[in-house]
Amino acid sequence: MSRKDEILKSFLNHELLETKYELKKTDLPSTVREALNSDNPIIKAIALIVEGLNGNIPVTDSVLRNQVTQFLNEAL
Amino acid sequence: MIIRKIEIENYLCYYDTNTFELSEGLNIILGENGEGKTKFFEAVDWLFTGENRELDMLVSAKKLDETEIGDSFRIRVSMSVEQYNEKSIITKSFLAKKEKANECSTSSFMIEGIEENNSGERNQVDGSVLLDRIFPFQIRKYSMFKGEAELNIFESDSALANLINLFSEAKHYDKYSEKGAFLKEKAEKAVEDSSKLDKKNEALYKKIEGEIFFLKNEKNKYQIHLNSTDEEIRKIEGNLQLAESHVSNADALETLNKRIKKIEERISNQNCSIDENYTTCLFDENWILVNFEPFHKEFAEKVTAHSKRQRELQSDFDKQKGIKEGEKKAKAELLNNAVPLPIGIPSKAHMEEMLNDEICKVCNREAKKGSAPYEFMMKRLKYYLESQVVEEDEQEKDELLFKFDYTNRLENLSISHEDNLKNLRLIRTKIKELFEFNDDRKKDIEELNEQLDKEKAERERILGNSSIVEEKLIDVLKNYNAWQRDLKIRNQEQVDYDAKLKNIETELRVRREEKDKIDTSSANSFLIKTRNILRDIETVFKDTKEKKFDEFIEKLQTKSNNFFKKINIDAFTGTIVFTRRNKINRIIVEVELQEDGRTFYKPNQSLLTSMHISILFAISELASEIKEENFPMIFDAPTSSFGENKTAQFLNLIFETENQKILLIKDFLHTDKTTKNLSIKNEFETVRRNRAFWAKLERPFDPNNLKTINTQVITL
Repeated sequence: MSRKDEILKSFLNHELLETKYELKKTDLPSTVREALNSDNPIIKAIALIVEGLNGNIPVTDSVLRNQVTQFLNEAL
Repeated sequence: MIIRKIEIENYLCYYDTNTFELSEGLNIILGENGEGKTKFFEAVDWLFTGENRELDMLVSAKKLDETEIGDSFRIRVSMSVEQYNEKSIITKSFLAKKEKANECSTSSFMIEGIEENNSGERNQVDGSVLLDRIFPFQIRKYSMFKGEAELNIFESDSALANLINLFSEAKHYDKYSEKGAFLKEKAEKAVEDSSKLDKKNEALYKKIEGEIFFLKNEKNKYQIHLNSTDEEIRKIEGNLQLAESHVSNADALETLNKRIKKIEERISNQNCSIDENYTTCLFDENWILVNFEPFHKEFAEKVTAHSKRQRELQSDFDKQKGIKEGEKKAKAELLNNAVPLPIGIPSKAHMEEMLNDEICKVCNREAKKGSAPYEFMMKRLKYYLESQVVEEDEQEKDELLFKFDYTNRLENLSISHEDNLKNLRLIRTKIKELFEFNDDRKKDIEELNEQLDKEKAERERILGNSSIVEEKLIDVLKNYNAWQRDLKIRNQEQVDYDAKLKNIETELRVRREEKDKIDTSSANSFLIKTRNILRDIETVFKDTKEKKFDEFIEKLQTKSNNFFKKINIDAFTGTIVFTRRNKINRIIVEVELQEDGRTFYKPNQSLLTSMHISILFAISELASEIKEENFPMIFDAPTSSFGENKTAQFLNLIFETENQKILLIKDFLHTDKTTKNLSIKNEFETVRRNRAFWAKLERPFDPNNLKTINTQVITL
C-alpha cells in the first residue's frame, strides 16, 4: 500500500465518518484512486486533498482550495 | 550496520597506527582518565563530522617530534563497516608537514570511501556520501553520546520533532492539519462574506463577530495562564519532592535549633542575673557596715555617757545660774533634782499623743487628766514649746554653758544609727542571699550548658545524616513551607482557570451557534454545506495527526520501558512516562519517571542515566525497525555516576541487547599505590562482553610533555 493510500485510510477511519456521515467501514475505499471516484462528498474531498498533498504532482494552496471548493460546491 | 574496525593513526595521543577490531555486540574500552578514551570518541566523531580546519591541533606531538623538519606524515581515522553483507571503508585524513620544531603545516584533507561487494571488488566512492548512506546523520545523532549529560536528548525542545521526522508516520500528517485549517478558514470567510450581504442582520452579526473575537482572545489568555500555572505546579511539586527527602531532618533541626536558642537565652539571662559586683555592694549597699553593730554599741554608750555628763554639767550650771526662773526651779523640783532629759524628749508629737491618751508611755502608767503625771507631761510640753520661741534679747543676755549643741548632734547620730541597725543587721542576710543566689545561678548555668551540649550533639548527628549543609537544610524547611502554600494557591488558580475556560468555551459555542443561525438564513446554502464539510475535514486531519503522534510516543514509551526494566540497576519499580505538553505554537514531550502514578521528580543520577540509556536503546530499536537494520551506539563514560558494581551490572544487562555497542569506561582499573602500576581488576572477568580493549598510556611518560604521550591499544 502506498503512503498516500495509508494516509487516506487513517483519515477515513476517523469515527466522525461513521457517526455523522453514517459510512460503514466496509464501504470505505482503500485507495486514493477509488476515493476520487466516490459519490460521497467528504470522501472525495479528503481524497482530493491527499492527492494534492501526497500525489505525484504537488499543488499550491490556492490550487488545492479551488479544487476542493469547486468540487464541493458542485457536489452539494 | 556493524563497525568492524576503527583505525586511528597519529591522531593526538594515538601515535602511529592503532587498531580496534570490534565485535558486533558489546565492546568495552577501558582507560584511566587522560589515557585516550575520550580521544577515541573524539576521533570517531571527527571522522563523522570533522571539518578541514584547525587540523594542526589534531596531530600527534610524539610523531611530530620524531619527524625530521621538512618530512610529512599522515593523520588518519578510518572505519570499516559491514552492511547488508557488503563492506565499506570510510577514511578521513590529512598530511602534516613539519616546518620547524613543534610546528607543522597541514594539507591534503580528504574523506575517502571504498565499497567492497560480495565478490571482493572494491570501488572508490565519495566518503561523505557513503557515510551518509550507510550511517545517516540523523541516526548518528542518536548513536553517539559523550558523558551522562548528553544522554538526555529530551533536554532540547526540538528533540521530539527530530524523532518524529526520523521515525514516525506522524510527520506525514503535519501538513494535513495545516491545510485542513487553511481550507476551513477560507470556507468560513466565504460564508461570512455571503452573510454580510444580507443587511437585515448586519448589526447583530457584527456584534456576534466582535463577541467571538473577544472570547477567543480571552480563551487564549486563560489558556496561557493555565499553562503557566500547570508548569508552576509541576515545578513546585518537584521542589517539594526534593525537599521531602530532607524535610524530616529539617523539621527536627528546626525544633533543635529552637531549643538550643531557648537554652542559650536562658544561659544569657542567668548570666545577667548574677551580680558579682561585690566592691560596689561594699559601699553602695553598705556591706562594709556588716560588722558595725559592736562599734555602734560602743559609740552609743559613749554618746549616752557623754550626754549624761553634759546634762549633769548643764544642770549644775543651771542650778548655779540661779533659781530665778520659775520654770527652771520647777523643773528642778519636778525632777526631784534628777538630771532632766534633754528638751524635746519625748518629742512634741509623742508628748501630745500621751496627753491625748492620758497614758505615760515612757513609764507605761495611767496619767489621767488632772493627775500629777498628766500635769508633769503638760508642763514638759509647755516647757518645750516655750523653749522653741526665740527671745533674742534674752538669749543674748543669757550666758550659755554649751555654745554649740554637739552632744545633741551626737545623740541624734546615735539614734539614727540605732534606727539603722535593723537594716544593717539585714546586710549579713543579704550578702548570704546574694552569694547563694549567684551560686544557684551558676549551678543552673552549668546544667543548661550540659543540656546545650547534648542538644548540639544531637544537631551534629542530624547534620551528619543529612546530605546538605545546615544553612541549606534550614532553607529547605523555609522553602518547603512556602512551596506548600504556593502549591495550594496554584492548585486553586488551576481550578479557577479551568472553570473560566469552560465558561468561555460555552459562551463561545453559544455565539458560534447564533452566528451559524444567521449564516443559515443569510448565506448561500452551498457555501454553508462546503464550510460544514471542511470543518469536519479539519477535525479529521487534526485528530488523526494527534493520534499518530500519540501512537509514536506510546511506542517509544513501551520500548523504553522494556529496556528500562532490563537495565534498571536501582530496582526502581516505576515506569518512564512520555507526556505530551502543548506549548504556545508547538508541542513538546516531557519524559518523567513515575512510581504508582506519582511523578518521581528528582531521581538520582544513576537512575536518570539508566532511564536515558533505555530511551536511547528504544530509539535505536525504532531506527532498526524503520530502516530495517541495526546501528551502533557509542557511549563515552555513560555510567560515571554508577560506581563499579552498578556498572558491572549495567554492562551485563546491556550485553543482551541487540545493537552493536561501544562503551568507554574508566572502571575496573587499579593503580598500585607504591609502584603506580596500572592493572585490570579481577572483577572485570565477570563482566559479560564480546570484546574488550585497554587504552593505556605507554610508560614512562611526562604528563607535562605531549611528546612523551602515546596511547597503546591492548586487546584483552
